[in-house]
Amino acid sequence: MPDAADQRAAAGRTFAVLAGLLALGAILFLAFNVSREIRLLGSANSDNVQWSLAQTEVEFLEYRRHLNGEPVNLSALRRSFDVFYSRMDTISQASVFETTRADVGFSDTLRDIQLFLTASVPIIDADDADLRLQVPELIALADSIRPSVRGLATAGLDIFARESDVQREAVARTMSQLAFALSLLIGTLGLAIFYLYRLITIVSRREAQQKQTAVRLNTVIGTSLDGVIVSDARGRIIEFSPAAEVIFGHSRHDVIGRDIGQIMVPPHLRDAHDAGMERMRTTGEKHVVGKGRVKLEAQRANGDVFPIELAIQSATTDSGEIYIAFLRDISARVAAEAELVAARDRALAGEKLKTEFLATMSHEIRTPLNGILGNMDLLQNTTLTPDQARYLRHMETSGRLLLTHVSDVLDITRYDAGKLNIQRVAMNLGDLVQDIIDSQSSMAAQNGTALDWGWDGLPQVWVESDPDRLQHVLMNLVGNAVKFTRQGKVSLTVSVRTDGPGDRLRVEIEDTGPGLAADLKDRVFDDFVTGNTAYDRDVGGTGLGLAIAKRFVTALDGQIGVDSEPGQGCTFWIDIPIKRVTHHPGAVETKRSPTKIAPLDILVVEDNEINRIVVRDMLQAAGHRVTEAHDGQQGMIKAHSHAYDLILMDISMPVMDGRTATRLIRTGQGASANTRILALTANVLQDERVAFLEDGMDGVLTKPLTQAALHAALAKEDRAEKTAPRSTDVIDSQHNRETRDVLGADTYDMMRSRFDADMGALIAELTDGADDPAAVAAAAHKGAGSAAVFGAIALRETLKQIETAAKSGDTAALPGLIATLPDLHRDTIAALA
Amino acid sequence: MIKLLRTFAGASAVLFLSATPLLAEDIPAPQGDVLLTITGNIKMTNVDDQLQLDRDALMALEAATFETSTIWTEGVQSFQGVSLATLMETLGVTEGTIIATAINDYAVEIPVSDAVEGGGMVAYLMDDAEMRVRDKGPLWVVYPYDSDPAYRTEVIYSRSIWQLDRLEVVN
Repeated sequence: MPDAADQRAAAGRTFAVLAGLLALGAILFLAFNVSREIRLLGSANSDNVQWSLAQTEVEFLEYRRHLNGEPVNLSALRRSFDVFYSRMDTISQASVFETTRADVGFSDTLRDIQLFLTASVPIIDADDADLRLQVPELIALADSIRPSVRGLATAGLDIFARESDVQREAVARTMSQLAFALSLLIGTLGLAIFYLYRLITIVSRREAQQKQTAVRLNTVIGTSLDGVIVSDARGRIIEFSPAAEVIFGHSRHDVIGRDIGQIMVPPHLRDAHDAGMERMRTTGEKHVVGKGRVKLEAQRANGDVFPIELAIQSATTDSGEIYIAFLRDISARVAAEAELVAARDRALAGEKLKTEFLATMSHEIRTPLNGILGNMDLLQNTTLTPDQARYLRHMETSGRLLLTHVSDVLDITRYDAGKLNIQRVAMNLGDLVQDIIDSQSSMAAQNGTALDWGWDGLPQVWVESDPDRLQHVLMNLVGNAVKFTRQGKVSLTVSVRTDGPGDRLRVEIEDTGPGLAADLKDRVFDDFVTGNTAYDRDVGGTGLGLAIAKRFVTALDGQIGVDSEPGQGCTFWIDIPIKRVTHHPGAVETKRSPTKIAPLDILVVEDNEINRIVVRDMLQAAGHRVTEAHDGQQGMIKAHSHAYDLILMDISMPVMDGRTATRLIRTGQGASANTRILALTANVLQDERVAFLEDGMDGVLTKPLTQAALHAALAKEDRAEKTAPRSTDVIDSQHNRETRDVLGADTYDMMRSRFDADMGALIAELTDGADDPAAVAAAAHKGAGSAAVFGAIALRETLKQIETAAKSGDTAALPGLIATLPDLHRDTIAALA
Repeated sequence: MIKLLRTFAGASAVLFLSATPLLAEDIPAPQGDVLLTITGNIKMTNVDDQLQLDRDALMALEAATFETSTIWTEGVQSFQGVSLATLMETLGVTEGTIIATAINDYAVEIPVSDAVEGGGMVAYLMDDAEMRVRDKGPLWVVYPYDSDPAYRTEVIYSRSIWQLDRLEVVN
């Protein structure tokens, strides 16, 4: 709007100036015309011409009168003639008569009179006697010309009347033009006056508005709770609001004109302040000005340094740049913030302590539980009376329940501590679900409930997700459904939807149980929520199962929910994002088909005696040979001197922990440097698992160890042996050297010759009897043992592969493996020499 | 012949006068035809209370000349005569009005303030010739019209009286 007004004002000014100039120009032009007219009136032809013409007749009559004199006064006659002559001469020559002479009638008359004069002059100039004689002739001449002289005067009058008319008209025209121009100028002046009046009105209105604005602004600044300080470009205070007075303890009139840095910048910031002001003055570069809210420290009149929050803006005025600072004392807020932070830190520390306590307690509870359960496992293999067996079963049930509770608490603690790590690996969905159904089928059968599962839509067996978490969640949901359903049906439906933005897995577990009350439905996933008390007697639980399931599903970016009507059963569902994959060899096998494990040579490194004995007895029961070590160092020494098939390694141990021992075994070039090592621990956080693998471990077994888990791990070990030969060297030279040292050179040579012969016989036996897998396996096993003694790792590896192939009935692979033996035999004997 | 003698006498007088500055009391009574009769409030007289000047007496006074055109004649003329300033000085007049009258009794008023150096004169020669009555002679009050626009006004033109024969100085 101001722009438009300014433009209008400028246009108005331009118009007024132009109009004024135009009118002025016209007036000047006309004034020049008028003055020219006046000059014409007042100069050249302005002699009294008419008088002169009239005088002509007077002088002619004077001459004529002297002609009639009695007697004629010749001197007076001559003089009057001369005067007339002179008059006519003037009229004929003078420039003032030029226009008059231009008139044809006038000039004719003039010529007649001149002819008269020419005729009269000889008579006048004659001597007195002749003149006197010729007076009658002069009279005749004069009388004949008399009408002409009279006509001359009259003609002049006519001409002058005409001329004067013309001149009057010209003057009148110029005058009216002048009048018009003057009216125009007056009109313009009137317009200009009107315009000026408008301008004055606008200006005074603006002035009033500005005054109002200033008053309002002063009121705003005066009542603002924030202090307002204005300084000039040099940092001199030019305004200091009442709030600023309160904040800083300075009174306004004390600080006006003083340097802002000296007044309110604390000494330790003063150099920086001065440098900043200097920088702004010289380069105009601004670090604080116009940068929004800034927190700084300021100083009060009494020297206290306190925190402020301020915003500075600059403005350009007639007297140079000024800075306006709005600032507030935030010491109370800062103190409150500090208090809050401290409180939060204390709370966090308390929370952390609680989490750590819970984790430690769970761990500490699980370790002895592990011992109890392990011993009970072993106790079942002893001879028991029926009562004892029943008590033992009850004890085991209670123990396992307790273990579940402790694990639940540990899971919750981990999730809430943000330590729950989610893995994404390829997994067999079908096997996972089948295992869960299998594990719950006996329970369902006890309740008289049918349990089944199926695909909704096309089966998608291989997906990428976290099998452990998924298994936990589904186990919980299926377990609940089975637990609460009597004489009914539990159905699990799996569907993989690929129509959305990403693939999603939906699993629904539908039961015909009692269903959920409406209020319970909303809380069922909360911590420590259990079903109605009527069932508490039938089914136990911490109330954490669904809470954990929800946490896991949430961690998998999925949703969990329940649809239920009381008395109509309920349907729990989960919906999680997954990725479809095709099966590949690295995939985690979730189906554990029971396989017979060949007896292995196993080193168990464990400081806890009970746990060690449990593991040992379990392994021995499965037919394995077990060597024990009480700490990491012992374990390392034993592993160095003997090539074990498997090492189970506890993590936390006195003297040397399991991770260190593993690293030393892997780098020590000992007999078991390449042996598979499994961690045996209660602490199985994902990052720890990674750390274990980085240390050189091949997997993790979770305590408390069960025969099933142990069996699964050993089966895996067995399979891994099949596909993963660890070395391509023909012999382990260090191992061979040590064997040579232990045996002595003579014995070594003897043993080597025998090994050579035995191996030759073995190869012949295998080549000939390849059609009997059992015999092949036995022979290969025996040969592998001999090869291990000499550190003939390549030979041993191949024999072990033959053994495994033979055992698993993979006879097709045997001939190829056996065919490589003669060359390996020759190379090995050469290397052993 | 008489004319010739008069001219000769005038020339002698000029020669004489140029040798010894003329004093007022030196103007004698006229010997020839009186060309100009001056009356009124004047300090110099030679016949009763009049100063009568013949051609010789006029030419004896300090002469002034200029060239100018006039609105009554064709071309530029040279004039010689007695400037009004010299005349008024001779008469001892410093203020007042001069009433100038011609042969035909035409009269005009000339303020004494017109009598300035380089101003108007009472001319007795035009183009080095005496002026006859027929040529606006014998005396003609002329101003140097060409030298100053101030002399080309109606007032000055009306004061340019020709066939002059009388002057009267009044207060």
